[in-house]
Amino acid sequence: MRLPGFWTLVLVFAWTLLFILLFVPLGTVLIASFIDKVGEPTLNNYITFIESARLRRAFVNTLVVGFAGLGGALVLGTIMAFCLTRFQIAGSRFVSMLAILALVSPPFIGAYSWIVLFGAGGVFRTFLREFGINMPTIYGVSGIVIVFSLKFYPFVYLLVSGALSNVNRSLEEAAEGLGLTPWQRTMKITFPLVLPALSAGGLLALIQAIADFGTPRLLGRGFNVLATEAFTLYSAEVGSNPSMATTISVILVLLSMFFVLVQRFFLRRNVYHGNLINKPIKIRLKGWKNLAAHLAVYAIGLAGATPVIISIIFSLRRTSGPVFQSGFALQSYERIIFGLGDVVRNSLTFSASSVILIVIIGTLIGALVARKTTLNTSLLDGALMIPFVMPGIVIGIAYITVFNTGPLVLTGTALIIILSIFIRRLPYTVRTTSSALRQIAPSMEEAAISLGYSPFQAFAKITVPLIVPGIIAGAMLSFITAINELSSSLVLYVGSTMTIPVRIYLLILDGDLGTAAALSSILLILSGAAVYIAFRFLGRNEQALL
Amino acid sequence: MAYLTVRNATKLFGESVYALRDVSISVESGEFFTLLGPSGCGKTTLLRSIAGFHDLTSGDISVNGSDLGRIPPHKRDIGMVFQDYAVFPHLSVFDNVAFGLKPRKVPAHEIKKRVPEALESVHLTALAKRLPAAMSGGQQQRIGLARAMVINPQLLLMDEPLSNLDAKLRIELREEIRDIQRKVGIATIYVTHDQEEALAISDRICVMSEGHVEQIGTPEEIYGDPQTRFVANFVGTINQLKRCPKLEEVLGMLGLSEVDASAKNASWSVRPEALVLSELAQPASGGAVAEFSGTVQKYTYLGREAHLFLNTAFGEIVVHVANPARARKHDQGETVSVRLNRQALFGFDADGARITTGKAPREGTI
Repeated sequence: MRLPGFWTLVLVFAWTLLFILLFVPLGTVLIASFIDKVGEPTLNNYITFIESARLRRAFVNTLVVGFAGLGGALVLGTIMAFCLTRFQIAGSRFVSMLAILALVSPPFIGAYSWIVLFGAGGVFRTFLREFGINMPTIYGVSGIVIVFSLKFYPFVYLLVSGALSNVNRSLEEAAEGLGLTPWQRTMKITFPLVLPALSAGGLLALIQAIADFGTPRLLGRGFNVLATEAFTLYSAEVGSNPSMATTISVILVLLSMFFVLVQRFFLRRNVYHGNLINKPIKIRLKGWKNLAAHLAVYAIGLAGATPVIISIIFSLRRTSGPVFQSGFALQSYERIIFGLGDVVRNSLTFSASSVILIVIIGTLIGALVARKTTLNTSLLDGALMIPFVMPGIVIGIAYITVFNTGPLVLTGTALIIILSIFIRRLPYTVRTTSSALRQIAPSMEEAAISLGYSPFQAFAKITVPLIVPGIIAGAMLSFITAINELSSSLVLYVGSTMTIPVRIYLLILDGDLGTAAALSSILLILSGAAVYIAFRFLGRNEQALL
Repeated sequence: MAYLTVRNATKLFGESVYALRDVSISVESGEFFTLLGPSGCGKTTLLRSIAGFHDLTSGDISVNGSDLGRIPPHKRDIGMVFQDYAVFPHLSVFDNVAFGLKPRKVPAHEIKKRVPEALESVHLTALAKRLPAAMSGGQQQRIGLARAMVINPQLLLMDEPLSNLDAKLRIELREEIRDIQRKVGIATIYVTHDQEEALAISDRICVMSEGHVEQIGTPEEIYGDPQTRFVANFVGTINQLKRCPKLEEVLGMLGLSEVDASAKNASWSVRPEALVLSELAQPASGGAVAEFSGTVQKYTYLGREAHLFLNTAFGEIVVHVANPARARKHDQGETVSVRLNRQALFGFDADGARITTGKAPREGTI
C-alpha cells in the first residue's frame, strides 16, 4: 500500500461528497414525501397520489410512453444494427454518424423540430393542406412516442451492433449445419446471444424515456407524465405542492430502479464469453432485398437526425420577430450575439466547471475503486450506481429542497447547477477510469519499478499516459451531457444562471422558433466538436458514447 | 557463500494461508535456477518476494552478501521478465528497452550503443522504431527480455515468460533465453510449471509444492532420482503399481522384500520408459530382473516412440517403446510380457519420501 494516507483521504472525501450531494438530498426528498403541510408525518401524499385521477393518469401515461418509446427504439435500433453489421450498406459510416447525431442532440430539440414540421402551423402540415390533406398534429401521445423512438434508438443500435459483430460466425454456421432454417437460426442462436446487449440498450431507452421532461412538456398538450407533473407541482405559482412533487420524485426513482433490477434479474446468468476466431462477415444483398435494407437504414438514420437538420436549416431562415419569412439570413444568430451572450457563456462555464470537477474527482475515485478493492470501495462503486436511476427533475427538486435553507444555501447560485450536473455524470467517469485502469495489467507498473522507477514515477510514466486518452474522451462525453442538460437546470435556474437548454425551452414556449433553432444549432456544434475530440482520442468507438 | 540466498522464507496471506513455508534456497552466480511446481505452489510468490513486490512474513533474502529486506523494489537492481510481457504499449521498441537506462543516468551516447546491442541479441534490430502493440507474443517477450538484460541487473527473474506462447515458439525462445543467459553469465531465477521446459533450460531445479521445497537438484537428479513421490509424479509420468501378490513376487525377484517390509505402507512406481517388452530386451542385461505380463488395451503410435496401455496385475500400466518402427504393432487383447530391473523401481514411504533401496545385490543371488 503506497501512500495509504492519500487513498484513505480520497475514500473519506468520496463518501463525504456522496453524502452531501446524493444521500442528504435524496433522503430529504424521501422524508419530505412522508410529511404533510404542517410538518406531521403522514402517508397522505401517497394516498393522494393513488386517489388522484390526474396523477394515476400521469403514472399510466409515463408507462405508456416509456414502453411505447422503448418498443419503437428496440425495433428501429435492432433493424439498424442488423442491417449495418450483416449486410453491405453503401455509406454505412454516414448512417452510423446520423445515429450519433440523434444521440448527442438534446431530446427537446427533437420535440421542437417535429413541432416545426407537423405542429399546428407546421411546415409539412401546411404544405399538405394545400392539397386538401388534413393530417393530424404531432401533439399528444403519438408525437411523444415518435420522438422517443427516434431519439433513443441509438442506444439499442450501438449496443446491439457491438454484440452482433462479436457473435462468432461458427456458431451460426454450426446451427445451419444442424439443419436450422435461417429464421430458426436467428431466433435460437443469434437472438439469445445479443439479448444482453438488446436489454441493456432497451433499459437505457426506457429509463431515459421515463425521466424525460422536455418532450412531453412541449408535445404533450394536456398529456401529462410524472416528470411534468412533478415540475408543475413544484413550480406552479398558484397551487404548488412541493411535498406532492417529492412524492412523485420518489415514485419516479423507484420506477427506474425497478426496471434496472428487473433487467439485472432476468439477465443474471446470460453472460457469454465467446472467442472471435471466426468474425461475422457482411453479405452483399441483391435486388429488392438490398433496396429494402438501404431504405430502412437511411429512413431510420435520416428520421432520427431530422431534428438536427431542421434546427440548422431553421436557424438560418429569415425572421421577422418570431415569424419566419422566406429566404435565409443570420438574424437569429445576431439576436443571440447581441442578447443572449450571457446564456451561452453560462452554459460553457457551467459545463466546463462540472467537467473539470468530474475529471479530477472521478479519476481519483475510479483509481481508488480499481486499485484498492475492499468492501468499502465496492460499496462506493455500488453507491455510485444510484445517480444512474435519478431523473434530472428529481435531482433538481431534491437540490432545491436541501440547499434552500439550512447549513448550505446554494439556491440561485451557479454552483448548484454545476453540482447537479457533476453528481449525475460522476459515475460515468468513475466507471470509465476504473475499467481503463483494470485493463492495464499491474505487471506494467511492476516492470517500470523493477527497472528502477519509484512507484509514483511508474504511475506517472506508464499508467497515466495510458489512461489519459480515455479520460479526455470521457470528459468530452460528460461535456455533451452537461451542456445539453435541461430538466434539473430548469428547476434550479434563476435569471442570472440561465443555460442554453433552459433558454431554448422558454423560447419554444414563447413561439420564438428561429432563435431557438439558432441556440440549438450552437448546442449541436458544441456537442459535435466534443464527439470529434473524443473520437480523436479513443478511435471511432461509438459505444463509448453511451 | 552463495550469490543469492533465501533463508527460511515464510509468507502468510491473511491469517492462515501459507504461500511459502520455511523455504530456503541458494543460487550461485551465473547459475540458471528454476522454480518448478503446479499453480499455487508458491513459486511465483517466492519470485515476487525476491523482486520486492511481496514482503515476507519472516525470513530473509540477500544478494551478493547484502540483505534485500529493507530495500524497496525499484532500488534492488533486479531485472524481471513477466508472463504477460508487460511491454509498454505507448513506447517504441527502442524506448521500451532504453526505459530502464534512464533512471540509472546512463549517458545518451551509451544508451545509443547499448540498446541496439540488446535488440541485436534478441533479433529485434529491424523493429526498433515500431510500437509494440501489434507485435506477436514472441516479439513482445523478446522486448521484455532485452529490456530486463540491458540494465545489467545483479539478478534476472523470469515469471513463466513462455507460457503464453505457442509450443513451437516456446521451444525456440527457451533455447535463445538459455544461450543469452550463458553468454551474459547472469544469475537467473526462472519460474515455470512446465516440467519439460524446466529440464531443458536449468542448471538446477527447485521443485515446490504447497509452499515448501520438495527437492533441489540438477535436471538429471530431479528426473532420474526423485526424492519424493510428488517430484516423481510431477516431473515426467510414472506408473503407480497397485499392491498385490504379484508385486510381492516382483519385489522378491529384485531383492527388495526386506526393504519393503521395513518401510511402513511403502508404495512402488516405475517410469514408463524404464519398462521393456521382453521380446525387445537385450538378453542378460545384468542385474536383477523381474518379469510380468499384461493385456494390451490400446496401442498409440507416435513416430519416435509408441505407448502401450496394458492391463496388468498392478492395474493399468503404460509402457513406452522407443523406435517402434522396428517393432510390430500390438493389437488390443494381445498378451505381452514386460521386464523391469531393480534400478527402475522407485519406492516411497507413507509420507511420500523416497525409500533408499541400497546397492543392488550381486548377480546370481536370486
